[in-house]
Amino acid sequence: MKKALATGLAVLMGLSVMTAGMTVTASADDSELNIYMWGDYISEDLIADFEAVNGCKINLSYMSDNADAVNKLTAGAGSDYDLIMTCDAYMESLIAGGYLEEIDTSKIPNAEANLNKSYWTEDLRGYCVPYLMNYIYVVYNKDTCPLEEITCYNDLIRPELAGQIGSVDGARNLFPIALVALGYDPNSRDEEEIKEAYEWLTKYNANVLAYGSTEQNMVNGAISVMFTYDGNTAWAMDQMGEDNPLVIAPFTEDPVQLGMDLYVIPKGALHQDLAYKFLDYICDADVMAANLVEFPYSCPNDAAIEAASDDYKNSPAFDFGYKTNIFFQEDVGDALPIYDQYYQMLKVG
Amino acid sequence: MKKKDRSRLPMLAQTGPVSVWMVLFVTLPLLFIIYISFMSRGEFGGVVYEFSTESYRTILDPMYFTVVAKSFRVALTTTLLCLLFGYPLAYYIAKKPPEKASRLIMLLMIPFWTNGMMRLNAWMLFFQMNGPVNYVLTHLHIVEKPVMFLYTDWLVNIGLFTNMLPFAVLPMYSSIEKLQKSLLEASYDLGADRKKTFFRVTLPLTFPGIFSAIILTFIPALGTYTVTDMLGGGKVLYIGNIIKNQFGAIRNWPLGAALSVLLLVITALLIFLYSRFAGIEDLEVV
Amino acid sequence: MEKTGRRKKKGRALSVLADLYAIAMYTLFYIPVAVMIAFSFNDAKRNFSWEGFTTRWYGKLFSFSNTTLWDALVYSLVIAVLATLISTVVGVLGGIGLRKFEFRAKKFINMMIYVPIIVPEIVLAVAMLIIFITIGIRMGMGTILIGHCTFCIPYAVVTIKGRISGDNETLEEASMDLGANRVQTFFRVTIPSIMPGIMSAAFLSFTLSIDDVVMSNMLAGASQSTLPVLILSLNRTGLSGDVNALTTVMIAAMVAGLLLHRLIRRAAAAGRKRAEDGESAKG
Repeated sequence: MKKALATGLAVLMGLSVMTAGMTVTASADDSELNIYMWGDYISEDLIADFEAVNGCKINLSYMSDNADAVNKLTAGAGSDYDLIMTCDAYMESLIAGGYLEEIDTSKIPNAEANLNKSYWTEDLRGYCVPYLMNYIYVVYNKDTCPLEEITCYNDLIRPELAGQIGSVDGARNLFPIALVALGYDPNSRDEEEIKEAYEWLTKYNANVLAYGSTEQNMVNGAISVMFTYDGNTAWAMDQMGEDNPLVIAPFTEDPVQLGMDLYVIPKGALHQDLAYKFLDYICDADVMAANLVEFPYSCPNDAAIEAASDDYKNSPAFDFGYKTNIFFQEDVGDALPIYDQYYQMLKVG
Repeated sequence: MKKKDRSRLPMLAQTGPVSVWMVLFVTLPLLFIIYISFMSRGEFGGVVYEFSTESYRTILDPMYFTVVAKSFRVALTTTLLCLLFGYPLAYYIAKKPPEKASRLIMLLMIPFWTNGMMRLNAWMLFFQMNGPVNYVLTHLHIVEKPVMFLYTDWLVNIGLFTNMLPFAVLPMYSSIEKLQKSLLEASYDLGADRKKTFFRVTLPLTFPGIFSAIILTFIPALGTYTVTDMLGGGKVLYIGNIIKNQFGAIRNWPLGAALSVLLLVITALLIFLYSRFAGIEDLEVV
Repeated sequence: MEKTGRRKKKGRALSVLADLYAIAMYTLFYIPVAVMIAFSFNDAKRNFSWEGFTTRWYGKLFSFSNTTLWDALVYSLVIAVLATLISTVVGVLGGIGLRKFEFRAKKFINMMIYVPIIVPEIVLAVAMLIIFITIGIRMGMGTILIGHCTFCIPYAVVTIKGRISGDNETLEEASMDLGANRVQTFFRVTIPSIMPGIMSAAFLSFTLSIDDVVMSNMLAGASQSTLPVLILSLNRTGLSGDVNALTTVMIAAMVAGLLLHRLIRRAAAAGRKRAEDGESAKG
């Protein structure tokens, strides 16, 4: 018995030593900036310039899913970082949960001056700074698509398209288009409406060849229609060459989803001054314009677009007429499990 | 008393580390998971620490039975493929001289030191419409038009099989390797032919290895989703998908925890029945 | 006489068949690797299809400024090696101990061994993350290591258990009868007799650790990401050829290591033989 006790104590001691070794607190001086974001999503030259000007070191670590950032924040690990990239769909709950520091917009004059306020809306302004954006729209190959034209979401469930569609996945990406097609609010919390959307989606699902790998399947001719991000379309167009047969579906009435990748400052972040400096830096028109050369995605920074190269401005993947006819993905709170339930039904059959 | 103490030291030295590790980093988190499964989902994600059995009421839905059944089918197919093709390979490797065997094992593992997602993508590139397989088939005029191999069941099976095989081969190899040559020779000397020796001596004696192989392939395959998502087109949800989603976009941790507990109970029951049924020595595994 | 001849012939045919089988299996295994290597020479921004030959991805990989991939690779390797060491030691000791000894909590520990294999990794990772934060442990390499070992140890234990049986005890008893003490017996008899099992356990641990995403992601600190996490993150916009180039370099390094090992062994064996020959010539 004594021995067991002694062993137990030894183990506990060993553990506490280990714990002590790992709990060394990070210093709060302004020599480091810890950013958690997507890989290959910001110019390395830009990072290096910022480091040189401010005499600091930027530590980048990478997420594999948008939910990673949210999980880290929800679990309470947010303060390991100074800036975290997340998307607008999670903002409401992150604010409500008290996981974010309020952002003092007077400290980021470049953002105030350059960001388009129709994206950086009143609700979001106090807690985040948008970085880049993505549309989720419909693209088809005009040579191989069985339909002459696709002008609304309802065209996607026409039987001619059986096995022709490549699609993005996820309950909160799929249900909005069904709700829009049915004439409802894309962020509906009404179970009846969600159920109807589910029925619409069963027809859509029947036409889908595969979820994911959309641009690869499009380039290789496995599909002729894709419901995907504008950035992925850009890669597909790039690979298929100058006069590629890809057409961004000329939607007449239905709005398309616009998502934003934005930076937030997690509650208790240690290097907030430096975080503000960084946010202001990337909102500078010339800095962002240079960033857009490497990462030619949709951007909420009007001044940067103005300053950007012609290549960027004329990029076919971001050139479509209904750019302002958009909806955002909102947090649906308690309705999320309902979405999930019907999403599971959709895919379990 | 003294004698007993002396015999305890080696026991502590050997079973101590693993026991402490398991209690600290498995039992504690597991208790926490069970605890969460009885809590409620916060309106905006996370966990609200209020008692609720809602997660368990949710999983009574017969849909989850279908999901579990489908996951079982995938895991079973994978395990059978791995045993069927893995045992001969393990046997082959085990019969080589030690140095060669370790090289063969090494060769078996090297592909796995590359990225798993890239491996799956490589299968896609290999089989896609303008990939090498279709190139050869069309140029040899075996088929007129490129064949759509992607998103078929057999491609999913190839993906799962190649992803899991080493986990079956390694334990079977180490258990076949142990078989003493003298034993097999004795069997031959006693007039048994190859077939008889294999089924009466080799197979029963390597059963612990086979058991390990089944555990290490069936259970992980039960929770798998990356292969079915990428090579199967993601049109079917498995239990792994659903749990992952609860800790992902859906942010319903209590339901995810409850589903894990369900998975745990089913698997524990299965291992228990299996070890009873098989009557193997390691009966106390559960 | 004729009968043994026929048996020999049959045996040779069988062994050719076995060789063919093994070659077929290994070929199947190396298809994805071959594709990955081939596409490291693909002249396209994103690897959707074959566009032409180029070596520019190697240029990018080895360019001076490109440290992201290398840093991640080194970090992953360090973690994998440490996780393999810890898991193999703990797992081998545990595998032997759990087979040999009887104690009250044994059933319970045996049960716990299966939990990390059964419970989806993400669930365990989130639970660990919350617990670590509650006790005030800072996320970083240490926590990733704990996460990895937690699922590597069970694989090691299960593999070792599959290897041990009654024979080992007989051997150990013989060793002790011959006057060896427990420690000597353990290192000179027990360990060598289960060496292939230990090797398997180590290989499994390394393989699991080097390619892990979920634990490496949830339990990571702010300073560095592992390679699989980085690759998954890059995959959002499509992987470019430099990742394939890195994979090719890794595989080339491993194959070179294998060949070198073989050469050294050969040279050593030849040296030994020469020395022996010299001895006998003298005699």
